[in-house]
Amino acid sequence: MGKTENLFLFFKKWSRGKGIEEIMNSQSRPLLDIKNLVKDFGGLRALSNVSLNIQKGEIRGLIGPNGSGKTTMINLITGIYNISGGAIYFSQDRIDGLQPNVIAGRGVIRTFQIPRVFKDMTVLENMMVPALCQQQSMAEAKARAEELLEFSLLTRMKDEPAKNLSGGQNMLLQIVRGFMKKDLRLYLMDEPFSGVHESIKGIIIKNIKAMNQEKMITFLIVSHEMTTVRNLCHRISVLHKGELISQGTMEEVANDPLVIDAYLGGE
Amino acid sequence: MGVLYCLMSLGVNFIYGIMKVINWAIGEFFMIGAYVQYLLIVFFLGVRYWYIGVLIAALCTFLLGALVQKILIKPMFVGIIEEKMEYATIVTIAMAILFRNLAIFIGGPFIYTPPDYAPPTRIGPLPVSGNNVIAFIGTIIILAFFFYFLKRTWIGKAFQAVSQNRPGVLTAGIDVLKFDMIAFGIGTALAGAGGALLAPVLLVYPLCGVIPTVRGFEIIVIGGLGSIPGVFVAGLSLGIAESLGAAFINPSFVDIYGFGLLMLILLIKPYGLFGKPERSV
Repeated sequence: MGKTENLFLFFKKWSRGKGIEEIMNSQSRPLLDIKNLVKDFGGLRALSNVSLNIQKGEIRGLIGPNGSGKTTMINLITGIYNISGGAIYFSQDRIDGLQPNVIAGRGVIRTFQIPRVFKDMTVLENMMVPALCQQQSMAEAKARAEELLEFSLLTRMKDEPAKNLSGGQNMLLQIVRGFMKKDLRLYLMDEPFSGVHESIKGIIIKNIKAMNQEKMITFLIVSHEMTTVRNLCHRISVLHKGELISQGTMEEVANDPLVIDAYLGGE
Repeated sequence: MGVLYCLMSLGVNFIYGIMKVINWAIGEFFMIGAYVQYLLIVFFLGVRYWYIGVLIAALCTFLLGALVQKILIKPMFVGIIEEKMEYATIVTIAMAILFRNLAIFIGGPFIYTPPDYAPPTRIGPLPVSGNNVIAFIGTIIILAFFFYFLKRTWIGKAFQAVSQNRPGVLTAGIDVLKFDMIAFGIGTALAGAGGALLAPVLLVYPLCGVIPTVRGFEIIVIGGLGSIPGVFVAGLSLGIAESLGAAFINPSFVDIYGFGLLMLILLIKPYGLFGKPERSV
């Protein structure tokens, strides 16, 4: 049995075995609950009364034309920006106004559209960074980092400085590094497939599915890649000009006249 | 002699690497380290235990630096992710004036002369100051510890990560503001240790940090702002340039040779030997 299969078994141990129908039908309170979120940049309103909730174990897609406020939304959830109005609840606790590291400490991790890797550090050292603020032995963290690198086919590059990696590999490294967070509960990904080679895209999707199915990690994925979003996400939310205009399955969203107008430039 | 000022430069560069703030009060932390060392070896420890004095002086300047950062500089960085904070640089200038005047107020405008750490000695046929040898060896030991800490320990790796990508570490759950405070403390402790090591050479008075500050910034500009290896190479280069100038041209103008080297380097490499452009179009 290969190491990859072993890793799957490792994840299996953590599995809660819930299907998406069960998640969607769950009457429990949402993991992420955004209420009437507003963000102003001076006189420009980037987000206007956006309300959105995501259930635990869901993979939610967030789509919208350029400038619709998708990245702003992620920046607000992770505390990079302060909100102008509304509220953000994570696991019933209000998190807006907290520092980004405190929000991350609660299990909310994100990636950036331009990969934020530590270019002069090796791939393995990059992986170890989240472990530096966790109650975890470094030996244990190193073993986990090596498992994740193996699963993501990055093992042969583990001693290379991150600056030697391609753009796609850097994106993959940034994503896999997030899984080093021990109590990761919500993973926000900003354009994880943008400019990434098909083979690496496949590895990213494999990672997301494995972590979602086996560890019940919830994902919010911002992407322009409709095919990938359709295949990966349970539900889609659509932002346009800072407003949430549609939510539902890809089929429901794709047939929504407001969405068609937003993408095709209707009146 | 250039190596002896490396601790100052390293302190400035380390703080700059983490916080992107130039600490213009570094010479005053050097001066505080020198005063602490003087008090310790004259009134408490005796000159035999000068090395314990250096450690205590470094600890005192670490605590003072961390406290000053926490009270005066940290509040400016709350909510700031990666922008440069020029106001913090201005605060360090104010700090320099405050500490200098406090030194005059407390210790008076007098020059205090600590006892020698070691008697004059010879290296081959050349007579050399024992204090310079001690300061040189002490500096090399501190530099070695610092490089080991930065390159070989996980906490050192965390500092590297903070210096390379603040949003990346912040969103990974690391408290960047705490790292800022510790980095500021380490930077000032390096200067304080330098002041304690060089106390018998440069003596102890309110302006004793001025010359090391000038030399320290010369080293930074030659090596490149923010570059840790650049500090060591530039320190050595400065020392060699000054020694060669003194030996072959005229020992009266030793300060000019360092500036000559600085101008030469800037003509060839405008960002210093290991520096990188800070702004680009």
